Amino acid sequence: MPELKRILHVEDDPSIQAVAKVALEAVGGFSVLSCSSGQEALDQVLGFAPDFILLDVMMPDMDGPQTLTKLRELVDIGLIPVAFMTAKVQPSEIAHYRSLGATDVIIKPFNPMQLSTQIRAIWDRAHG
Amino acid sequence: MDKRQQQLQQLQAHLQQLGEQFAQRLQQELPELAGKARQLQQADDVESQQHLLSSLRDQLHKLAGSAGTFGFNGLGQQARELEQQAEQWLDSLQQKQQRLQDFIHGLERLAEQPQLIEPEAAPAGTSARLASLASTTCARVIYILEDESSIGENIRLTLNTFGYKAEHFSRIEALDAAIAKHLPDALIIDVNLPEENQTGLDYAAALNQRLEEPLPLLVLTTQNDFTTQLQAVRAGAQGFFTKPLDITKLENRLERCFAQQNGEPYRVMIVDDDRDLASRYSLVLRGADMLVETLQNPEQILAAMASFNPEVLLLDISMPNYGGPELAQIIRFNDDWLRVPIIYLSAETAITRQMGALVKAGDDFITKPISDNSLITTVFARAQRARLLSNALSRDSLTGLLKHADIKEQVALEQERGLRSGKSASVVMLDIDHFKQVNDNYGHVVGDSVIRALANLLRQRLRRIDSLGRYGGEEFLAVLPDCSAAQAERIVDEIRQQFSAICFSAGDREFNVTLSAGIAGAPGLAASELMEQADRALYQAKHSGRNQVRLAE
Repeated sequence: MPELKRILHVEDDPSIQAVAKVALEAVGGFSVLSCSSGQEALDQVLGFAPDFILLDVMMPDMDGPQTLTKLRELVDIGLIPVAFMTAKVQPSEIAHYRSLGATDVIIKPFNPMQLSTQIRAIWDRAHG
Repeated sequence: MDKRQQQLQQLQAHLQQLGEQFAQRLQQELPELAGKARQLQQADDVESQQHLLSSLRDQLHKLAGSAGTFGFNGLGQQARELEQQAEQWLDSLQQKQQRLQDFIHGLERLAEQPQLIEPEAAPAGTSARLASLASTTCARVIYILEDESSIGENIRLTLNTFGYKAEHFSRIEALDAAIAKHLPDALIIDVNLPEENQTGLDYAAALNQRLEEPLPLLVLTTQNDFTTQLQAVRAGAQGFFTKPLDITKLENRLERCFAQQNGEPYRVMIVDDDRDLASRYSLVLRGADMLVETLQNPEQILAAMASFNPEVLLLDISMPNYGGPELAQIIRFNDDWLRVPIIYLSAETAITRQMGALVKAGDDFITKPISDNSLITTVFARAQRARLLSNALSRDSLTGLLKHADIKEQVALEQERGLRSGKSASVVMLDIDHFKQVNDNYGHVVGDSVIRALANLLRQRLRRIDSLGRYGGEEFLAVLPDCSAAQAERIVDEIRQQFSAICFSAGDREFNVTLSAGIAGAPGLAASELMEQADRALYQAKHSGRNQVRLAE
């Protein structure tokens, strides 16, 4: 099983970006690259080579699902788990996100102390 | 202090600092929101209203997602509620626009039909007219695809009698064109269409895949075999009916689809001594629009359940002084809680211990850690089944309304709630006039359809918070919380007029039916006295010539 080290986090809200970075680095010991837009993620993804991608759903210009589609055109992310982050999740929406190729969905607001565990669990299931 | 602890402390400090920064940001952002709200008040064209509303919705959505992460739970929750309200306002603006568009199209079409100005033969009697109804209530739109015209028309007319706005299409092409113009609230589709090059199911499956939110789908067929049923399930059907049709059953199922669609949020109770985890689960489930209450002290479980009335219980399997299964058994001692599904939360993966716990009063297991969406899916599925089951047991099979005992209980509950809140409830007792004559003249099947029509009308006209029950044969009981007797009188009198305007048909005969009602509302009275007063008022209405609404004196 490959090891989970590098997480690409795409989120336009600077406060959330900061708290997720701190939480994932300090609690989980991951190395995190934060991007503020889908475009930035597209520019950075090849250089950073993430093991896991965390995508905010609602962003201006290019939203999470659009970013995922573009990412997929750019790199073979078939093996990289992708989780969407969103504030509102109906069961039908989860199904929708999954059909877009997301491995899982993480709900906002999240608890910074538990975010790493949640991501680890998604990772384990994706590779289990 | 060891290194790990030191790290944790640093992290906490860091998080706190970020929280303070976020609070500063809020000091800017909240006045901004208020500013937009003021703009909204001044905006006078629909476009700028829509623009402002969607920007407010997006901003509130962000806030709902972020505030809780920094510990501002109250703010996050309020933002979420306001976000939903913004969404609803947007929806209703869009609907208004759509209706205006439809109206304009209608006028345009009128101008395009020269044959309308030519003299025509006397109009044939339609078997169901609901003009007055359709104009005052938002009737649900049902599209029917049925190549046998007589069957299709029959369904259409019957559904219209029940207050729906049904349209019948014989060909896929015509249905497709109508759907492109206006999306219906549900579809009824015949599987066997010999004239077409695809079956009705193929069409429905493709359509539902195309749509973001699949439409409720009922399937009609002459083949009652496993393969067809399986295909129906795969196409997303929620009902399967074999010809010859029982249209009342069809309508029943339709009503159930809608009840499920916009039912109240599911109520979930979480009992876990780990406060962090309980609030985490609670957040996740609330995000999926469920109502959640958490409880740390298991000794209060019975009182908490009585006041919250949960539909699903999540129970930690091992708490300091109690085992989850012990608690579950205590709950099951009480007959009222036999139906509530209990899901154990457990870090236990050993199957034998899980089995042992299940045998003791539980229904399911969630193994920690669980992903957010598995949690939602598990709880949602349990809650949905539990509610369906509970409805099947407590609801009258003809009307789908509460049964005698359950509606009486509801009156008592509302009266009690009124005492606490200081807002009084009104009780309405309703009875169909000369119902025996309807049964004698036209038969019981027609009589049943009259009862169902009234039940539907009541359901459509009363609010979601009102409770409605079938009290006896043709007698209904409703309780309207936070509603004065005078307000109730106005609403019920409108319902009386609308009901008398419904034109029922039996064969080629048409007839109208009226109703009488009695209303009582007095804070502080016992529920039984209130019902008695309403009953007396109903009696007076009957004796003063029927077809009227009376207030209790």
